[in-house]
Amino acid sequence: MIRRIAAIVLILCATALWVLASARPPHPWDESTFRMTLSNEPPTLDWNLATDSVSFDVLINLMEGLTEYDEHLRPRPAVARSWEVSSDGRTYLFHLREDARWSDGKPVTAGDFEYSWKRLLDPKTAAEYAYFLYDIEGAEDYNTGKTDRPESVGVRALDNRTLQVRLRKPIVFFPSIVTFMVTYPMRRDIVEKFGERWTEPGSIVTDGPFVLDEWRHEYKLSLRPNPYYYGTRPALDRVVMFVVNETTTALTLYETGDLEMATLPPEAMSVYRGKPEYFTAPILRGYYYGFNVLKPPFTDPRVRRAFSMAIDRKEFPAILKRGEIPASFWVPPGMPYFNSAIGLPFDPDTARGLLAEAGFPGGRGFPAVTASFNTSPENSLIAENLQAQWKRNLGVQVLLDNQEWKVYLKRLQTDPPPLFRLGWGADYPDPDNFLNLFTSTSGNNRTRWKNNRYDELIRSAAADPNPLRRQKAYDEAQRILLEKDSAIMPLFVATQNWVIKPYVRGLRINALELLELKNVRLEKS
Amino acid sequence: MIGYILRRLGWGIPVLWLVATATFVLMHIVPGGPFDQEKSLPPEIRANVDAKYHLDRPVLTQYYFYLGDLLRGDLGPSYKYLGRNVNDMIRETFPVSMQLGLWAVLISVVLGIGAGVVAAARPLSWMDHTGMFLATAGISLPSFVIGTFLILIFSYRLHLFPAALWEGWRYTVLPAVTLALLPMAYIARLTRSSLLEVLHKDFIRTVRAKGFGERQVLLKHALKNSITPVVSFLGPLTATLVTGSFVVEFIFSVPGMGRYFITAVTNRDYPLIMGVTLVYAVLIVVANILVDLVYIWLDPRMRIKNDS
Repeated sequence: MIRRIAAIVLILCATALWVLASARPPHPWDESTFRMTLSNEPPTLDWNLATDSVSFDVLINLMEGLTEYDEHLRPRPAVARSWEVSSDGRTYLFHLREDARWSDGKPVTAGDFEYSWKRLLDPKTAAEYAYFLYDIEGAEDYNTGKTDRPESVGVRALDNRTLQVRLRKPIVFFPSIVTFMVTYPMRRDIVEKFGERWTEPGSIVTDGPFVLDEWRHEYKLSLRPNPYYYGTRPALDRVVMFVVNETTTALTLYETGDLEMATLPPEAMSVYRGKPEYFTAPILRGYYYGFNVLKPPFTDPRVRRAFSMAIDRKEFPAILKRGEIPASFWVPPGMPYFNSAIGLPFDPDTARGLLAEAGFPGGRGFPAVTASFNTSPENSLIAENLQAQWKRNLGVQVLLDNQEWKVYLKRLQTDPPPLFRLGWGADYPDPDNFLNLFTSTSGNNRTRWKNNRYDELIRSAAADPNPLRRQKAYDEAQRILLEKDSAIMPLFVATQNWVIKPYVRGLRINALELLELKNVRLEKS
Repeated sequence: MIGYILRRLGWGIPVLWLVATATFVLMHIVPGGPFDQEKSLPPEIRANVDAKYHLDRPVLTQYYFYLGDLLRGDLGPSYKYLGRNVNDMIRETFPVSMQLGLWAVLISVVLGIGAGVVAAARPLSWMDHTGMFLATAGISLPSFVIGTFLILIFSYRLHLFPAALWEGWRYTVLPAVTLALLPMAYIARLTRSSLLEVLHKDFIRTVRAKGFGERQVLLKHALKNSITPVVSFLGPLTATLVTGSFVVEFIFSVPGMGRYFITAVTNRDYPLIMGVTLVYAVLIVVANILVDLVYIWLDPRMRIKNDS
C-alpha cells in the first residue's frame, strides 16, 4: 500500500513538473526595457539626504544639477549653460538653461537651487553631507546653529536664471562639487506638500532624463523617460532596477536573460575575462592600511617606511582576482593630478635596513603588534597576505584582529589601533577629496598624524587656478604623506567589473562607478 | 476555553515587554551606532542628526520615548531608510515573507509527515533508508547550498523556474522548497521516531487484535497519537518561516522581511531591530497558544488539566 502511495506521489510530481515546464511564460519585460541591479535598497531618494552610491546610481538618472561629468570626469554644463568666476575666485555666477524643465513641466529656476542648498544646510534637515557646501559664506554657521538666518548663507537666486554663490575662500574645483547629488535643485512646493514621502512615485518630480514610475521597496524601481527633459529623449522606454544583494544571483539572472548587465563576482572572472561582454575599469577608490603614529613602534617613521616597503603590492590582484591596480600612490588613476611615480616601492633589503636602523635588526626585539580590519572575506585574505609578507621580508610577527564593521568604526573613532585597514571612495573627482582626508583637522584622519607643510599644501592647492602649481603641490603633499612620513600604506585601487549584453549601446560607466543611462539603446536584432 | 485563551494572551504582554526591554538594552550595549560610517561626520553635523532622532537624550529617556510610541502602535522612523516608517516597512515586506513561509510550512508538513509515515511503516526497508538519508541531508545542508543547487538544476539547466525575483507564483517555488527542506527533514525524523514508539504500544496491539487493516492502524490510530512532537515543533517553526529567512531572501532576491533580522543589526537601525524582533515575538506567543489549543484538541487529558 505504501509503495502504491509513493508511486502515485512520484507520478504526480513528474506530471506537475512537466505541466510547469510546458507552461513557462515568456519574460514579463518588453523589448526596450533595460534591466539592471542595485546592490541594496536605496536608503533614500531625497538627494539632500542621500550619502551612498546606490541612491546616487538612481538619482544620476533622475536628476541633473548645475554641472555634470564629461568622459574625463571634468565638470561640464548641465542645467547651468555657463558660469563665471570673479577675479578673487570667491564668487561664482551660474547661468541656467531656459529649456530645463521638471517632469511636471515647470521650469527649473535658480530659486530651486537656492531652496535646495538652504534646505541641505538647515540643521533641522540633519543632512549628513551638508558639509559639502561649508565653503559657501555663512553655510557652516547656519548648519551648526551659530545663526538661524538662512539669508546669511551666500547663495542667492538673482533672477530665475542666475544663481550667485559667494565662497569664504577661493575653491577652484567648485564646479566639480556641484556635480554631486546633494546639490541638485529641489522643489519647495513638492517637499512641503508631501512631507517626508515626497520621494515616492506620484509625488516626486525630477529634472533629469528619467522620472520615477514605480518603487517597490526592497525589490525594484522602475524609471520612464521624462517627457520634459531638455536633452534628447532617452531611447529606452523603461529602466528596471532590481534590488539584488547577491552578485552570484545577479549573474545567474544575467545568464538566464533577465538582466542586461550585472556586476561580476570574483569567482566568475576567469569565465568572462576576454569575452566581448566583459567590462573592467578602475574606480576612484583606494584601499589602505594606516598607522596610528602615536602608538609605538609606529611612532618611528623608519618603522612605518619599512612596513610599507616590505609589501609586494602585485600580490593583491593575484589573490583578489578582480584586476585590482597595485598602488603605492594615493591619488588614484583617473583622477586629475594622478602621478604613478609617487610612493615607496617594494624593496625588502632597504626595508630590513630601515628596521635595523630603528633598533630591530632582522625583526629581533620587535614588539607584538596587531593589524586590525573589519570582518570580511576580502579583508581577511589581504591581512593574511600582509602578515606573511611582513614575516617573510622583515622577520616580524604581526597578529591579526577583525571586528564587525560598526564595532570597528567605533574603535577607530575612540582609540585607533596601531595598524588598521580603511578605504576611501571619491565623492567628486578632485584630488582634494582624497588628500584633504589626512589634513590635521580632518575628522577622517585616524592616523593622528599631523604635518603643517602638508596642511598648507592642500589648502593652497585648493585655491590655485594654475594646474602646474596644483600638480606640484599635490605631488609634494603625497611624498610627505607616503614617502617621508609614511603615515599610510596604500595597497591597491579597486576596479569595477561588469558583464553587459552585446546589444547594449551607449552606456556610460565612469570611474565613480555611476551608470548613466540616458544615451543607452538596445540593438537586439 | 475563551478564558484560557485570554489568560494566555494576557501573559503575552509581559513577555513582549521583556523582549522589547532586553532588545533595547542589548542594541545600546553593542558598540557602534546607526550613523557611524567609513566617512565620519563632522561633530556639528553629527549633533544635528542625533538631535533629529533624539539620540542626544539619555538612554533612559530614549527608552521612555520608545515605549510611549510603542503603546500608540508607532514603531518609529527607520534610521537607515530615510523617510520610511518601520510600520510601513513591515507592512510592505511581511506579507511576502508570510506567503513564502506558509508555502514552506505546507510543503514541510505534507512531505515531512508523509516521509515519516512511509519510513515508520517499513522500518529498515529501502524506503526508510532513502527517506532518512534525504532527511539527514536536509538537516545537514545549509539553505544557501540547497538554494544554489536548486537554481542550478531547475533554473539554469532545466529552465523550469525563474532563478530569482518576485513576479508571480512561479517565482515562489524554488525559495519555498529551499525554505521547506530543513523543517521537512526534522518533521520526517520526528514523525518516524514518534510513530515507531507508538506502534509498539499496547493499544495498537489491541487495535490490530480487533482486526483493523494496517492502513487504519497506521493512519487512524497510531498517527494521531504520535503527532504531538510535530505539533509542538510546528508552532515556533511557523513563526520562524513566516517572518522570512535572510539567506533565502538574499539568494532569490525576495522582497521579504527576513533580511531585516540581519541588515537592521549591521546598520544599527534601532527602530527596525525593535520592530522585527517584536513582530517575531508576537508571532511566537500566538503560535504557542495555537499549539496548545491543538494539543487540547488532540489529547482530551490536556483539556481536563486546563479546565481544572
